[in-house]
Formats: sequence, structure tokens, C-alpha cells
Amino acid sequence: MEITSSIHVGPFEIFYPLKPSVSSIQRYGTHNYPGRLFVVEGIDGSGKSTQLSLLHKWLESKGYGVVFSEWNSSPLVKDTTKLGKKKKLLTPATFSLIHSTDFADRTERSILPLLKAGAVVLCDRYIYTAFARDVARGMDREWVRDLYGFAVKPAVAFYFRVPLETAIGRLVGARDGFKFYEAGLDLGLTDDPEDSFRMFQGLIIEEYEQMIPEFGLTTIDATLPVEAQQARVRQIVQAHLENAKDLRIRP
Amino acid sequence: MRQTYGKLLPGMRLSDLSGKLIVIEGTDGAGRTTQINLLKPWLEELGHAVLDTGMTRSRLAGEGIRRAKEGNNLGHLTQSLFYATDFIDRLENEIVPALRAGFIVLTDRYIYSLMARAIVRGMDPTWIRSIYSVALVPDAVFYLRIGIDQLLPRVVFSRGFDYWESGMDLYPGHDMYDSFCKYQGALLSEFDQLGEEYKFETADASADADAVCVHLKKRILGILEPNPKETVVSNSCSDLIETFAQRVLESLIPQPNRAEVHAENGLEIASHQHNSAALRRTGWVAR
Repeated sequence: MEITSSIHVGPFEIFYPLKPSVSSIQRYGTHNYPGRLFVVEGIDGSGKSTQLSLLHKWLESKGYGVVFSEWNSSPLVKDTTKLGKKKKLLTPATFSLIHSTDFADRTERSILPLLKAGAVVLCDRYIYTAFARDVARGMDREWVRDLYGFAVKPAVAFYFRVPLETAIGRLVGARDGFKFYEAGLDLGLTDDPEDSFRMFQGLIIEEYEQMIPEFGLTTIDATLPVEAQQARVRQIVQAHLENAKDLRIRP
Repeated sequence: MRQTYGKLLPGMRLSDLSGKLIVIEGTDGAGRTTQINLLKPWLEELGHAVLDTGMTRSRLAGEGIRRAKEGNNLGHLTQSLFYATDFIDRLENEIVPALRAGFIVLTDRYIYSLMARAIVRGMDPTWIRSIYSVALVPDAVFYLRIGIDQLLPRVVFSRGFDYWESGMDLYPGHDMYDSFCKYQGALLSEFDQLGEEYKFETADASADADAVCVHLKKRILGILEPNPKETVVSNSCSDLIETFAQRVLESLIPQPNRAEVHAENGLEIASHQHNSAALRRTGWVAR
């Protein structure tokens, strides 16, 4: 159609290969933007946010222009997500779709333009969180991967691997109880929030484990001391910045 | 048994969805709402329970979409997925339960409008089809087709040009008229393609609303009663007739407690043209 070829909107021309038959590894677009995207993944209590925050400070101290984007934080969408969670309106399908809407807004308004501008973009949770949670909730694996077909492929996706009991040990005491969807109580596995959380996170870990080879996730042993993990993370990130155009805002 | 366009949502059973799903599609200003407002009371008078639904009416996302459209920062991708969220919320919480309860669901637009809008905004057609592969295949899609020439006076002399209906998010810098023509033209051509793929029944919407409605009613009766030539009262229609018969008989048999109410119903039924036509058609008047 004439009109679509003349306006060049939509991200797909940029990074969505128009072949539905290709495997999901190739589906997420590699890009040649001057910026670099690093993401952290892992279950609650894996320590990924701590690691990302330390990486953030280090990159800034080295003079890079760094931007941080958090899962579920789009100003356009988060009120709807909040409503859905508060009133328990979300089904596995709408849970999946509202999170993809939030992610779409951050992709087209923030992540993508920032990468084009040469920033280092750090994401706390990325599409792999959606794949793990949505599939654990019963969504079709392929459907969810298609849904996020517009996502930019990160330079590195770190997966902070931790045994379930270690993660739960870190969480208990640090917070007051588990929230409904966070604990997967909507799955109706059990009525006890902590048991439900344990079962749900178990399913999520299974999904993450499958994704390590599927998407080439970089595994970090999250039982190691914080400093040792951070040293490893910085080493890997450093290697990706060396080949990049100079992104530093200060010399 | 009812089908989807390929994928099944978790927890969705396709058995026992005995109602009918009837889609009214068309571009902005084609008269979809007018038709639904005519069809709904007609179907109810025939004894059917009717659910009408339409875009941005979901409890979950309706308000969020309206708020997002008030600003200047709703991107094309986000918009497409926000609407998908709204649709799936209504599919799971309104459409499917209503079909299970035997309702006729009249929906003002369905996945086709959502796909056309997304594709015109540059979304990948394969991608958008994959998202909506979980939608139910309707019993009929009536596409109210109208050319831009006939559409323009309706828009100009009623509510005027609207930012989103004119696709101003697509063509910044154009005036509303130019943008409207470009945008609606692109949608029309997309609808024509979708129409072939999804077997739309096209109705000429440039005719007046009553004429369009007569056509739609005829087609809808065909869906409710698939083989009218073979039997006077077909199997699929027998429930309707039974319900109807009950109402008529109840209204005629004196029941002291509720006599007044039923007498009123009886009058209403007898006086209404459509219903007497329906009675004649099914032989009830003769009896």
C-alpha cells in the first residue's frame, strides 16, 4: 500500500525481520546504533537490581551517558497496570498485554531514541521477564515471543542465577508479605502467599533456564559475593564498550 | 464448535459457546453505531439477550487509552498494544461469558479495525495477526463500506474532523482535511484486503440507515435460522420460538398476580411491526 511505504513509521522496518518463520533467536533485532543496551534478569531476590545500580555508578564515573529504564514504569501505561493489579482484573493474557504495552512505550519513546543518540541504556528486567512470567501463567510460548518481536536485542543480557531458597531467604524479613500477582496467587496453585510465591518462582526459574541457550543469556552466579559478581559484570560490559563508538559525555 | 484464529488463551473453553458473535465493521462515520442501536432492540424484541460491546469499553484499559489519547505522546506501537489489551479484556470478560450464556453479541468493530489501524501505522501485518490469533472467529462480519466522497459530508456536517479519526498522528503538518482523506483512504484499502481474507459481508453504507438495516436484519435472521427453506421452524430457531411462544401464551393466559405486567407485554408484542412479522413468518399468528 502506497501510504505505508511513504511514511516509514513503526519500528519493524528498523529491527523486526519480516520473516515469521525464523527462530526466535534471530527474531529480536540486532542494531547498529551507537548506543549500547545492557539488561539484567533473574527472580526476585537474585540481587540483579543491586548489581545494575553498581554498574550504573561505575559507568557514570567513567563519563558515559547512562540512562536507566525499569520494568513497568511507562507514565502512559502504569496507571492501567496498577488498576488491573489493585482490582485483580488481570488474566494471564491481559497481564501479558499490559506489560507489553508498557514495554512498547518505553521502547519507542525512550530506549530506541537513546540508543540512536549513543547512550548506554540499562534495563532492570527486559523481555525475558515477560517470557518467563507469562509462560509460567500459561500463555503460549510462541505467542509471547511474537508479541515482543519489536524489542531491541541487548548487547548483553545478564541472568543472575540463584537457588530459590537463597532468594527467598533474602526476601523474607526485607518486606512485608508478597503481593497477589507477584506471588502468582492468580494461578490458584495454593492460597498461602509464601507457598504460592515459591511455586510460581520455581516455574519462572524453569523458563529462565530454557532461555539461557535460546537467547544466549550471560549467566552470573548470584550466590557469589556482591563484589565478585560486579567485577565479572564490569569486565563483560567493558569488553562491549571497547568496540563501541566513544559514548562518553566527558573525556 | 467455535474456533479461534489459531491460538487459544489459557483457561478459554470453546465448547458451549452457544451464542452468536456478530461483528459490525467499517471506517469512522460509516454508521456502525446507528445500526447497532437499531439492531439491538429489534433482536431483544425477538426474544434474544443481546450484549453490545465496542472499542475502549473495557474496564481495564478503556480509561487508560482515553487518557493516553489526550496527550501528544502515544506512539504507534504502544497504541496498537493498548488497544489489544482493551480487546482481550473484553473478549475474556464480556464476549466469551455472554456467548456461553447464549447471548447474541453485537460488536461495534472487532480485530479487523484494530489490525487495519495498526498496519496503516506501519506495524508488521504478520505481527499484528499473531497477536489477534487468539480472537474468536465470528458468525458474521458485516462490513459497512463507504467511500470517502460519501463519508466527508457526514463528518463535516455532524461532529467535524477529529484528531485521531483524521490520522493526525500519522501526518503531522497536514491540515485535518488532507490528513483525513489520506488516512481514511489508507484504511479503506486495508479493509478491502482484510475483507477478502476474513470473508466480510459487505453492505453499501452510503444508502440510508433504514435500508442498510433491512439488509442486515435479513442476513442476521439467516444466521439465527440457517435453513429457512427446509423447515418452517428450524432446530436452531426452535429455542427462540419456544421462548416467544411462552411469552405470548403467558400474556394470554390469565394469571392473577402478574396479569397487568403480562397484558402490557402482550400489547407491546402485538403492536410491534417487527414482531408480528416474525410471528407470521413462524406461523404463530395463524395459530
